[in-house]
Amino acid sequence: MGAKVKTMDRKGASFQERLYLIEIFKGMATTFGHFFRNLLDNRKLYVRHYPEVQPEIPVRWRGRHRLTTHADGTVKCVACFMCQTNCPANCIMIEAGERLDGKTEKMPVKFKIDLLECIYCGYCVEACPLDAIRMDTGIFSVTDNNRESFVLELPELLTTPGAFSEEEYKKGGA
Amino acid sequence: MADTIKLFVNGVEVEVEAGKNLIDAIGAVGIEIPHLCYHPALGADGNCRMCLVGIEDGRPPLVPACKTPAQAGMKVLLDAAHIKKIQRDVMELELINHPTDCPICDQAGECKLQDYYMSYGRPESRMTVPQVQKSKKLDFGCGVVHDQERCVTCGRCVRFCRQITKTGELGIINRTDDARVNIFPGRPLNNRYALNVVDLCPVGAMTSKDFRFKQRVWFLKKAPGICHGCAKGCNITIEHNREKYQDDIIYRFRPRLNPQVNGYFMCDAGRLSYRQENEGRLLEARLSSQIRPLSDVLAACNQEIERAGKIVVLLSPNCSLEQMVAVKTLSAKLGASLSGFSDGYVKAGDGDGYLIQDDKSANRAGLTLLGIDCTQETFEEAVREAQLLINFNNDLTRSYTDSELKKLLKDTKVIAVATHNDRLTAMADIAIPVATSSEYAGCLINCDNILQAFALAVSKNQQPLDIGAIAAKLGSPLQSRAEQFAELRKYISILKDFEADTLPAEGLKLNDSEAANVTA
Repeated sequence: MGAKVKTMDRKGASFQERLYLIEIFKGMATTFGHFFRNLLDNRKLYVRHYPEVQPEIPVRWRGRHRLTTHADGTVKCVACFMCQTNCPANCIMIEAGERLDGKTEKMPVKFKIDLLECIYCGYCVEACPLDAIRMDTGIFSVTDNNRESFVLELPELLTTPGAFSEEEYKKGGA
Repeated sequence: MADTIKLFVNGVEVEVEAGKNLIDAIGAVGIEIPHLCYHPALGADGNCRMCLVGIEDGRPPLVPACKTPAQAGMKVLLDAAHIKKIQRDVMELELINHPTDCPICDQAGECKLQDYYMSYGRPESRMTVPQVQKSKKLDFGCGVVHDQERCVTCGRCVRFCRQITKTGELGIINRTDDARVNIFPGRPLNNRYALNVVDLCPVGAMTSKDFRFKQRVWFLKKAPGICHGCAKGCNITIEHNREKYQDDIIYRFRPRLNPQVNGYFMCDAGRLSYRQENEGRLLEARLSSQIRPLSDVLAACNQEIERAGKIVVLLSPNCSLEQMVAVKTLSAKLGASLSGFSDGYVKAGDGDGYLIQDDKSANRAGLTLLGIDCTQETFEEAVREAQLLINFNNDLTRSYTDSELKKLLKDTKVIAVATHNDRLTAMADIAIPVATSSEYAGCLINCDNILQAFALAVSKNQQPLDIGAIAAKLGSPLQSRAEQFAELRKYISILKDFEADTLPAEGLKLNDSEAANVTA
């Protein structure tokens, strides 16, 4: 026992309110007041004109992933599988292979991220020992009409540019 | 168990086996002494200095545990500050020139240097000079890739090649921080056990070309198994993994310690025989050239069996004992003549007196014990008279050339109960897929009359039935593994003390009277 019970007065019990029509017209007046005001001048609207107006994305926003590259455009990732190991959604699928350009010995041959399974937690970015995967593309909305196109492959991950400068990204706490 | 003695570790009394060195004796009761160069099969070398311990009885302040025999009443000191400082300092020295390329190193996850860094070291690097650069990715031959920078020069690989294979291909050249393991110019590793150095290497200096970058080791599931590559029956660990949306695939075999059979090692051919479990498998049941559901094909088989006047049943010498009794009772019920003819599995002169045997079949001793005829004459005579041959995964292409085989089988229908979709299976009129040795449980008898049991290791997305189950579907009275095992007890009296899944892990040595106890 112990929950305190407080009896509330029931509103809408007066005669005028019980007539119903008067209250309906009062409500309509409010609705149409807003409607005509916004129709004539919509500058004070509380909604964003999405998608014409995009929101401002902060640097630390975890958006869609990308793989970073060295200055010469080659992939930084060495396929150490740290991101795949750390991923709680199990949405990263990597296949490793031999790297022959002399930078290191190992590189990803396939690198897939299933965006439908990704929970955008950013653990892959934290786990990466080489800053090779980032979520700084600023892309927050990924849409399509089939499942297959939500699986990002290596070329797409490599060609998507970051949305911020290197200084801004570092300042963001990375 | 051998004699035991009592000694003190950090002031606590423990009872350990006598006649061993401190690392093994204390390690057996769960107290770890870190060590890099010592390996029980290669003996103590005492070069890594990681196992230095204190003995409180007036000896020199520190002794290497690998070279110190455990003695009664010994007072071993492991957790004193000066011992811990030594371990930390040794770790710091080992890591001075270590490239710390764990992200691309295949050993990461099973690396002693990583483990000991976490539990005994964690020193910050104090080096301000550049690291010594050495050669990386050297091809040492036999599928061994060497990275000199990762090496801790413990010399296990060198000692393996000198003591075990007695080929001595490897040596350590130069001294101090320039010391490195290398082959002699133009003379790469050339022995049939070379890949054992990959297992022996405590760090990632020796890696396997075959396994290179295939998987990170922490993804692999480990299951005990028996190698079916030859009659020795080396104990192995089957390491497999089911990647997302994929099938369960075996990535490597590694030897598993069994002093009675293979010790710590296995041969390269057996190690790489995991590929046969993955590749070229027969996946669908086939009726003439059409792929049909298994139930239809089995029904067609039963019709063929009824129609045929004389039947020959051929058994593979790789089958488990359970499968053999199942097929034996099946052929007895069908009134068929049963043969285990498999001379092609024997490669005379291939054995080396260590692990590799001439006989490349895993259970020929089982065929003999069950009294199954294996002679070529009886088999060929039976085939000539018969209208139907039911072949339980016996690879006849090993015993005959293609033309010989076509001539032998020209008037005989063939039902191939096979694991692989090879030439022989293609010749068959009916093909039924079955499980390979990693996909069922069973018992084998090796060349030294040791009966070993193995459990199911890999579960495929579509697990094929094993030969015992197919025999049951074709009419064998033994419907389950328990029934097969009960039948087996009639042949091997010692099995009455055991159940199918309680056989001892190290194997049962059958003595001569049991091996000769053939009722058939």
